[in-house]
Amino acid sequence: MAKQLIDKVMSPEGGVQTGPAGFPPGMGGPPPEKGKGRPGGGGPPPGLGAPPSAPSFANRLDTLKNKIVYLVDIGFGGGYEFMQQLQKWFTENMPSVTTVVKRKPGNVFMDDKSDLWDEIKEKGNAAVLGVAG
Amino acid sequence: MEGVAKDNPRSASLPFIFTQSTVVGMSTEVLDKYIVSNDPDTGKPVIEGIIDVLTKPVGTKKPTPPPPKVVKAKAPSIFLEPDTEDNLQQLFYEKGWTDGLPVIIPTEERVKKMLAGTSASPDDVVAESFKFDTMEMVKYTVSNIAVIAVMAGAKPEYFPVILAIASTRQPALMGSTTAFGTMVLVNGPIRNEIGMNSGIGAFSPINMANSVIGRAWTLMSLCQGQAKPDITFWSSQGNNNTYNNMCAAENEEKSVWEPFHVTRGYKADESIVSIFRGWAMLSTSGAASHRSLVEELNIQLAVMPPMNSSATIVMDPLVARNLKENEGFSTKQDFTKLLSKKIRIPAGQYWKTDQIDMLVASEAYKGVEPYASWKKLPDDALIAPYNNPENINIIVVGGETSPLFKSADYSYAGSAPIDKWRAKK
Repeated sequence: MAKQLIDKVMSPEGGVQTGPAGFPPGMGGPPPEKGKGRPGGGGPPPGLGAPPSAPSFANRLDTLKNKIVYLVDIGFGGGYEFMQQLQKWFTENMPSVTTVVKRKPGNVFMDDKSDLWDEIKEKGNAAVLGVAG
Repeated sequence: MEGVAKDNPRSASLPFIFTQSTVVGMSTEVLDKYIVSNDPDTGKPVIEGIIDVLTKPVGTKKPTPPPPKVVKAKAPSIFLEPDTEDNLQQLFYEKGWTDGLPVIIPTEERVKKMLAGTSASPDDVVAESFKFDTMEMVKYTVSNIAVIAVMAGAKPEYFPVILAIASTRQPALMGSTTAFGTMVLVNGPIRNEIGMNSGIGAFSPINMANSVIGRAWTLMSLCQGQAKPDITFWSSQGNNNTYNNMCAAENEEKSVWEPFHVTRGYKADESIVSIFRGWAMLSTSGAASHRSLVEELNIQLAVMPPMNSSATIVMDPLVARNLKENEGFSTKQDFTKLLSKKIRIPAGQYWKTDQIDMLVASEAYKGVEPYASWKKLPDDALIAPYNNPENINIIVVGGETSPLFKSADYSYAGSAPIDKWRAKK
């Protein structure tokens, strides 16, 4: 015996409206509109939620010999320790390379437009950013 | 740096290098090994990859395709093809629309009945969410949420609460590699009108309204595409309290203190849903027999270095009554002020906690107090990390069979009114 078919089943995705993104929700989405809810007193520190800026690349170096390489910890767990060990590797294996380990001062999820990028442009020849996740 | 590449930087692929595994918590010996071990993506040593990307042209790999252009997407069909119950259940599961448990198939008739639970127009937009996989904002109408409410097993009278949850725009499931947990609290008259449980076993799977309303929030996240493994969802272990998000009502009748929503500025006769989120929820094995509650909470909360001083304590009415009648805390604010002063942990313990280092250290570097001062302290100096008592949430839930309590690092993520979504009488 044929099983009964169920008709007029509505799709959970049916009719949803899509559009260009504004900004990605940081940790939990945009806050409720004014008057439609009250923001929490807790949650992550302010500033989460801005979109990352588009990448732009420097020209590559011919060699790292006698160059200054910034090793930038972006703030994810273990990143600083990794950069320190990377620095140790350069010291032991490529001593002509000067490495500078720095922690990105702003929030891990944001391009904080800090002076660090200016410092790297002025004093550095290359940069390694990490570690994500 | 020697200048920005002349060619369009967006056309080149960002050179990523991968270590063998995650670096957090690894010893220096392991990190040293990672540096000389092969990148699992390229098969060549990590250090060689680093040197190569600094000294060889970027973009030699196949360029990463740009994000898809946002075009006016063709809205998915309102109706699915007719099929059998079994096939539809399987389809819903395979589409990622369910939590793995069977759902109520949302026929037009059932959705129509659900819509009778609100005075809002079916086309009213309730929520927007950002889709990381398509980089789009997606708007969800009352009708979309009604479909999900039916799937969760809701009665029409639950629908205003579900719409209020949707209106917070908070996802139940977070894409984070960590394992966020959540809690939904309902205050005000609607709790009793729809038969929510705030007493014995309020957090147990024994009450239809609690179970279904909490589940509906998770189904929203699933149907909105926020939990596609490896695409929009990366929680390494997940968190099974997101099956129904600890949905419960506050036991306002038995509480000796003002209800939570009143603390947050709403009127007592308003019906309000509140959302909490965090990582650690500690359910005690029993009451402290030879310590005060403050001492007990000091022990428990000290192992959860807080973000923004946030904590949530869910206590049985017996606990609240004892604190008021025998310990002298006339208000819950009196109690949270004391907790704020008393709970102390070493600065080193605080800063060496991953999420604190990741998300709070930047505040210290910017000079924001008290983080800037705490950052300068030696590891063994004691700090009071719950420095803002207003961020310690006290909620009263339970059936007065034992003076139990739960402590959590959960933050208050916001509230939304329910009454505006109710059906007109």
